[in-house]
Amino acid sequence: MSLQVSIDQTLPMRLTGAFHCAPGQLVALVGPSGAGKTSLLRGIAGLMKPQHARISVGSACWCDTAQGLFVPPQLRNVGLVFQDYALMPHMNALDNVALPLRGPERLIRARDMLRRVGLAPEHMQRRPAQLSGGQQQRVAVARALVREPAVLLLDEPFSAVDQMNRQTLYALLAELREDIAVPMVLVTHDLNEARLLADELVVMAEGVVLQQGRADAIHRAPRNARVADIVGIANRFDGVWLGADANSPAGTGWLRWGSTDAALHLPVRDKGRIEPGQSVAWVVPGEGLRLCEEPAAASAAPVNGLGLTVRVVTLRHLGDVWLLRLQCLDGPQASFQIMLTGPQVRPLVPGQVLQMCMDLAMLHIMPIKTGAGALVSAG
Amino acid sequence: MDWTALTLSLKLAGATVLLLLPLGLWLGRWVARTPSRWKIWVEAAMLLPLVLPPTVLGYYLLVGLGNSSPLGQWAQQLFGVQLTFSFTGLLIASLVFNIPFALQPLQRAYENVPRSLHEAALVCGLSAWERFTKVDLPLVWPGIMSAAVMTFAHTLGEFGVVLMVGGSIPGETQTIAIAIYDRVQAFDTRSAHLMSLTLLLISLLAIGASLLASRRLGRSRPEVTP
Repeated sequence: MSLQVSIDQTLPMRLTGAFHCAPGQLVALVGPSGAGKTSLLRGIAGLMKPQHARISVGSACWCDTAQGLFVPPQLRNVGLVFQDYALMPHMNALDNVALPLRGPERLIRARDMLRRVGLAPEHMQRRPAQLSGGQQQRVAVARALVREPAVLLLDEPFSAVDQMNRQTLYALLAELREDIAVPMVLVTHDLNEARLLADELVVMAEGVVLQQGRADAIHRAPRNARVADIVGIANRFDGVWLGADANSPAGTGWLRWGSTDAALHLPVRDKGRIEPGQSVAWVVPGEGLRLCEEPAAASAAPVNGLGLTVRVVTLRHLGDVWLLRLQCLDGPQASFQIMLTGPQVRPLVPGQVLQMCMDLAMLHIMPIKTGAGALVSAG
Repeated sequence: MDWTALTLSLKLAGATVLLLLPLGLWLGRWVARTPSRWKIWVEAAMLLPLVLPPTVLGYYLLVGLGNSSPLGQWAQQLFGVQLTFSFTGLLIASLVFNIPFALQPLQRAYENVPRSLHEAALVCGLSAWERFTKVDLPLVWPGIMSAAVMTFAHTLGEFGVVLMVGGSIPGETQTIAIAIYDRVQAFDTRSAHLMSLTLLLISLLAIGASLLASRRLGRSRPEVTP
């Protein structure tokens, strides 16, 4: 019962793109405010009728504008946790959860569900205003799940609770996920939350779905510069794709990094998707950068490694992690950010000069152009 | 004390409340939730009875319901009912001039219900009737109370439109407000005073009871938090 969503509309706001979510999988829609995340979620729930769309869950089609089909929200069997929880203020917690249910067993089922989400029995008779934010959130989750929905939708459900409650609720969601075998879609603007909870991310901006994939895969290979910005890739640089020539190693082309005399020409894997001469952005993930004490060690790096002399600009200690900003001394004017953890941690001081090796095989190149028309990548 | 006039007024006010509340609920919900660009004009038209002189409203009702009007002829032919100078005509006029008094509190009540609650009810799979009885009705209840009391009290006190459309036929169209006027004209100040005091007390009691009920409801029901 996989969820397949494909939407294309220009009015009243632009909303374009497609994504899918397998049963039991949790997909997070991420992007800045106004990216269209909540609108997409409302489209799935049927609370918004898109201009052109096809939304299906397994064999059931909920919306197919080409066929003139639109199933209203009350017939979709969707579990939706609203950002403000949308609990009925005149009903107690138990009645709120029993609201979607029918039949004589409804209160028993509602009570079981509330117990599963960890609401104490003495709180079940209380109205939402008499419950804490975290308790209201549990009631909202219970109401969304009690009907055994075909899809579970969560619209920034953790934004209104404090950090301590949030951690408990993350744990609750992780625990509940073990028993939920339906597609789950989470809207969040918190990337850490998305990485922590979701199996896959769907990156959105200005109403356009830019990329779907696992968080690490998107970090390694963002589809374009906008995606790199949204997922917060630190080591992002500009350059020009020169393409292959007689001197470039087989299967690679030249990337010119920097525009001054200090420009470097780097051999990078060529997928033939970017025209030579096009301005590009390129990124290198943290694991593609390695610090070495001596220049000799840098030259002993892999064949496709690039040795660079760098100076430590800032050094920040965050618990077990060291965050370093390094200034490049023998290449284009650029600064890198790397993170040292565990055995990588070593005594360093600001101003210290080091050798750094960049693994060119891990470079990823993408067009600078943003929007739906730029969904190609080369590296 | 003209008991016939008082009974007629109470009957008219009660019937107006009963007939106008369902219409007010429907219209109040529509005006509160519709994205239609016509909403503002519908709202303006519904508020007209508040600003028009009763004589203007009464005149148009007289023309619109009269025997020579299409509506008047239709009612005469189909039901054998005369709309002007009759209780039926008075009731129709009462429904029209009370629209803003019923609509305003109900529209405000619906506007105070967060949209997400309505959407939550939809997503929970509730039918239109269930959404009305389980969600809308309990949440707009103070608005219903307020609309009922305002309509009731205003019907008891209306004078100009009633006189224009109904005249002053004892037992048929002579409401207590008109009976008071007649008594004053006849220099029967004692009866006028007694009926005025009765009207004043009934209105005060109705509004007081409504305020009391609203406060009790407010205390027992937590605020609708958006």
